[in-house]
Amino acid sequence: METRPTGALSGIRVLDFGQMVSAPYCAKLFADYGADVIKVELPTGDVARTMGPFPGDVAHPEKSGLYFINNTNKRGVTCNVASEAGRALFLRLLEWADVLVENNLPGRMKSWQLDYADIQAVNPRLVMISITPFGQSGPYSAWNGYDLNAYHLTGASSRYCGRPGEMPLEHGTFSADYFGAISAATWGMAAVYGRDMVGGGQQVDVSCAEAIAAAFIGGQNIGGYAQDGRFDKRTGVGMPQGAPATILPCKDGHVWMLALEPGQWNGLRQVMGNPDWADLDIFQNMKTRAENADVIYSFIVEWTMQHTKMEIQEKCQAAGCPITAVYTVAEAAEQPHLKARGYFVDMEHPELGRIRNLGAPFKLPASPGGPARGAPLLGQHNSEVYGGMLGLDAAKLMALRAAGAI
Amino acid sequence: MNKTLPLKGVRVVNFGWVWAGPVVGQTLGFLGAEVFKIESRARVDMTRNLPPFAEGKPSPDRSLSNHACWAGNGSISLNLKEPEALQLAKDLIARSDVVVENFGPGVMERLGLGYEELRGIKDDIILFSMPGAGLYGPMKDLRTYGLSLTSTTGLDSLVGYKGGDPIPVENAFSDPYAGILGAFAVLSALNHRRNTGQGQHIDFSQQEAVMQMVGPAYMDYVLNGRSGGPKSNEHPLAAMAPHGVFRCKGDDRWISIVVGSDEEWHSLLAALKHPEWLKVSEFATREQRLAHIDTLHALLGEWTVQFDDRELAALLQSHGVAATPVLNVGDLLGDPHYVARRTFIEVEHPLGFKETIYGSYVKLGRGEVEVRPGPMIGQDNDYVFRELLGLSEERYRQLIERQVIY
Repeated sequence: METRPTGALSGIRVLDFGQMVSAPYCAKLFADYGADVIKVELPTGDVARTMGPFPGDVAHPEKSGLYFINNTNKRGVTCNVASEAGRALFLRLLEWADVLVENNLPGRMKSWQLDYADIQAVNPRLVMISITPFGQSGPYSAWNGYDLNAYHLTGASSRYCGRPGEMPLEHGTFSADYFGAISAATWGMAAVYGRDMVGGGQQVDVSCAEAIAAAFIGGQNIGGYAQDGRFDKRTGVGMPQGAPATILPCKDGHVWMLALEPGQWNGLRQVMGNPDWADLDIFQNMKTRAENADVIYSFIVEWTMQHTKMEIQEKCQAAGCPITAVYTVAEAAEQPHLKARGYFVDMEHPELGRIRNLGAPFKLPASPGGPARGAPLLGQHNSEVYGGMLGLDAAKLMALRAAGAI
Repeated sequence: MNKTLPLKGVRVVNFGWVWAGPVVGQTLGFLGAEVFKIESRARVDMTRNLPPFAEGKPSPDRSLSNHACWAGNGSISLNLKEPEALQLAKDLIARSDVVVENFGPGVMERLGLGYEELRGIKDDIILFSMPGAGLYGPMKDLRTYGLSLTSTTGLDSLVGYKGGDPIPVENAFSDPYAGILGAFAVLSALNHRRNTGQGQHIDFSQQEAVMQMVGPAYMDYVLNGRSGGPKSNEHPLAAMAPHGVFRCKGDDRWISIVVGSDEEWHSLLAALKHPEWLKVSEFATREQRLAHIDTLHALLGEWTVQFDDRELAALLQSHGVAATPVLNVGDLLGDPHYVARRTFIEVEHPLGFKETIYGSYVKLGRGEVEVRPGPMIGQDNDYVFRELLGLSEERYRQLIERQVIY
């Protein structure tokens, strides 16, 4: 059964020939908004299938949480592009598609004879979105790399995360992959939207590292460095130029303590019960507070440790301060605000059962989006896609299976 | 080569301020749209006054970081408190496709520019709103700064040293992230308009958009009831080891190293020349490496510290091991990879100075993005008010004198 989505991107056909996070999440964004997305996996499956989280930590290729969350709304087929028959089949899919999203290292696509020149010859209108740690050109393009390697090549960790002199840190998730994925979805979608105007398909070359080095780090730092030759590094506190502006512990966890402008500071003083220390001259502007950060933070922590994060958030917000709880993942997952907005969606999956998934990343009222169908099982739609869509007969399908092509 | 960019002919009015909203405009602008920020000298955006300034001379038109972060946007200056200014904004919107804003919920309505109002001006207009926590819901008015917004998603609870407290990321990763993804939302709505003739009002909650990055850890909560915490640079799903950042020779020099497969493990051993100290039998399988990751990382760190970070990365890469030097801001400009990809570019500002900003961080096969520095306030007034809106010379001059155009 071919699905006929009605979302904003309905009518756009996408092949996801990616693994792990970057290309699958990029293709998921297309799938969230109604594009017809077919995920093409090597017979061994997306590597994400070997990674958890698994229910009860028992590994199972159809029970990976990472695979599930980045592959909803897609149909799934297998194809061994390394074999001649498999490659021929892949080319048939390319003829069908408007978009190919992939995140194989450039050398790997070449070894399969699937670099852009090969693909363009098959379908000149296709937009090929390639997302890799380092991109298709430049001295590191042949390097091996994962999310962590890309992230640390950007200046982001050295500049903004970790204590001075200690190990620079990633964000605890696949930050470079996600940043590359959203950059790729946007630039790739523009290439699809303007395809007739620009005269056909093209390759959209995304380096996860470069996107962060430019749009996050470059934006705030590179002009100053180029002109003055000076640059800053991580400090371990949220904002060294002003205080309070950092994460502090409280009774049941942590809060993001922010009160820089005079109105915010006075609001915080009031919530804290106007303690005497807060009257000191050195605490009356954000810069002198920052110069005495150790002192002021130790005073504030005496107060925060007596209160819960939600108490602090509610009282401080009511007093006009942008202070928030540092929600744990569990707390964010149960947040009443997100529930009221319908951010979570219940889904069924044959192996995982009922899953409360994250919903659409943004709301398009005229053409709602978000995950509705669970991630495909390995090769689940082989017959539907190769038989129904491409019109291969049963004998041919059996031959392809026997040859290990699918 | 066809030099037309894919969004040529799309016109965007951008009320976005600070960082995230301007990046939406930038992204669409890089891709060929004509983007006009509406701003005013009556209330200058704070990022225009952020040092460092070109040639050290403070001015709202000389902030180097502002020029990088706002590149791609044009600018017209209107004091929206004046009814005639508001009318001019509406006249421009009547000739535009998209309106972008990142105020809090309700602000556009109070300005007289709510969605219903805009629809009256142009029936198929796309209004893109990106408040911190969405347009509705119990926490819609939550005050956050870009750098603390992530605290409401669970993301901040994952950042830090293994077993320790959360460490703040010292700048708003979510601003460029939401800005770029926001442009994807706009493109989706443009595609829907092309399919159906309908515009819409996009509710883009930055919280929800960014929380998708927490997906992998969120699934561990859904499947296992666990809420993760800081784990330094270890793999977000504890699926790879080694997976970390290690000290190198010199002051604050580090290398990132990831081993994702047994094959890569053998490559690492080959690069290390199969040393005695790395008791290979204890780390032979992925399970063993994960079980003893602290020991493994400590041993590796004793080895890496003898090497220069770049030399070691090159050595490891020559064996196929995923490794990168951890770059600081000062390394970016001269890094051969970013030089080759023209990630950072020197541009000439209309005021006569040269400055360095980031260029097209994604490479399009067709069409080269010509990036100019972020606009001076009112840089496009002549074009918009005289040519596009057809004001007479006299009326234009009057409106400038009366600080309506200001």
